[in-house]
Amino acid sequence: MWTRDVAGLRLTFHLAGINNQNFLMRDEETGTYWQQISGAAISGPLKGRRLTLVLSDELTLAAWKSEEPQGTVLDDVPAYISGYAKRDWDVRMQRAPTVLDFPEHALTARDLMLGIQTFDDLGQKVASRAFLYDRVVKEKLVKDHVGSEPVLLVVGPDDLSVRAFRDRIPGVDGATDFYRIVGKPSGVLPGVLPGVVLMDEATGSEWNFQGCATSGKAKGLCLEPIPMLKDYWFDWRNYNPTTTVYGKEK
Amino acid sequence: MTNGTERSRRTFSLALLACLAVSLICVAYPIYVIRPFRHQEARELALALVVTEFRPVVTVISAMAAVLAAIGYWRRQPRKWWRAWPAAGAALVIVLAFLARVNVYELMFHPVIHPSFTAVREVKLDGAEKVVAVRIGREARAYPIRGMSYHHVVNDVLGGAAIIATY
Repeated sequence: MWTRDVAGLRLTFHLAGINNQNFLMRDEETGTYWQQISGAAISGPLKGRRLTLVLSDELTLAAWKSEEPQGTVLDDVPAYISGYAKRDWDVRMQRAPTVLDFPEHALTARDLMLGIQTFDDLGQKVASRAFLYDRVVKEKLVKDHVGSEPVLLVVGPDDLSVRAFRDRIPGVDGATDFYRIVGKPSGVLPGVLPGVVLMDEATGSEWNFQGCATSGKAKGLCLEPIPMLKDYWFDWRNYNPTTTVYGKEK
Repeated sequence: MTNGTERSRRTFSLALLACLAVSLICVAYPIYVIRPFRHQEARELALALVVTEFRPVVTVISAMAAVLAAIGYWRRQPRKWWRAWPAAGAALVIVLAFLARVNVYELMFHPVIHPSFTAVREVKLDGAEKVVAVRIGREARAYPIRGMSYHHVVNDVLGGAAIIATY
């Protein structure tokens, strides 16, 4: 997800090519080509510019709806519905060939990863780390570091959606131990996703999947969300050649 | 038939062939490099994109030159059947000038330029459907992946900010 305002222009984008299976976009206004994964302009009048990342999540509709009951959903475009993905498209995509392969860390090209990057004050990338999605979903809560930055990967109450946060409670020094709440808190009706998923040791507060404390000393405070990209290993590794992988330290 | 006439015909033939070659390279090279399931090296991709950027102008100039070369050859060729090939050649260069303006990907994939939305409480999708979700200001929006994996690009405005959802 990127902003469209660049260099005083509001750009309109089209899919215009492919670069090692990550697509290229072209804007109508200047004809510049942009790389989808990085938001970087790689050819054309705006070459060298970058789009600004907009924080977004990949969630199940149910998880999102429970958080945003007033939200809106993109309509299908009737002329193209027949081309829309079937429910098992991600399973079928895992069998599709790739043009790149990085058989490091015993990962296959289409292993699904959750990737996090950290940047310095000048916007230069400092560190990148990838987390195997299946492992994160299994562990439910991952406490780790990307470079020197403590991070928390939290699996939502639907056991499918994942978010990443900076592991720092505002006003509390250092990282805090968080614990996953097992089972549904009392009072949660069948078919309804529970709102609370974590507790922390420092303040004894309960936290929801949006990273906000709903009770306890930290009530009203929120953890800082971190942009995280769900991507295939080969693509993540191609654009993050120095990436480390959670659980695969040498 | 004089040697001068023969030489002129040869010159115009070579000019026409050169125009055809230039236009063919301008159209074919980017298609060859930027295609699915092929590894793109950084330099060849950069060259292909530069060719794509300049080929609309280059192929027009080439087409004009090809027409002039065909006319020059035509005037110096008394045999009617021999006139056919420069006409065909110039026509092909003109067709390539049109094709140079076509991006196959932009024809195949349809970004959503003017998206419409429905309140989530009225949406009939299954709760297990995956979405890419964003909140800007007071507005929250979800883009179902079932559609995003087809369109790949949605140009949108949310919370006053112009954004592009990609997948």
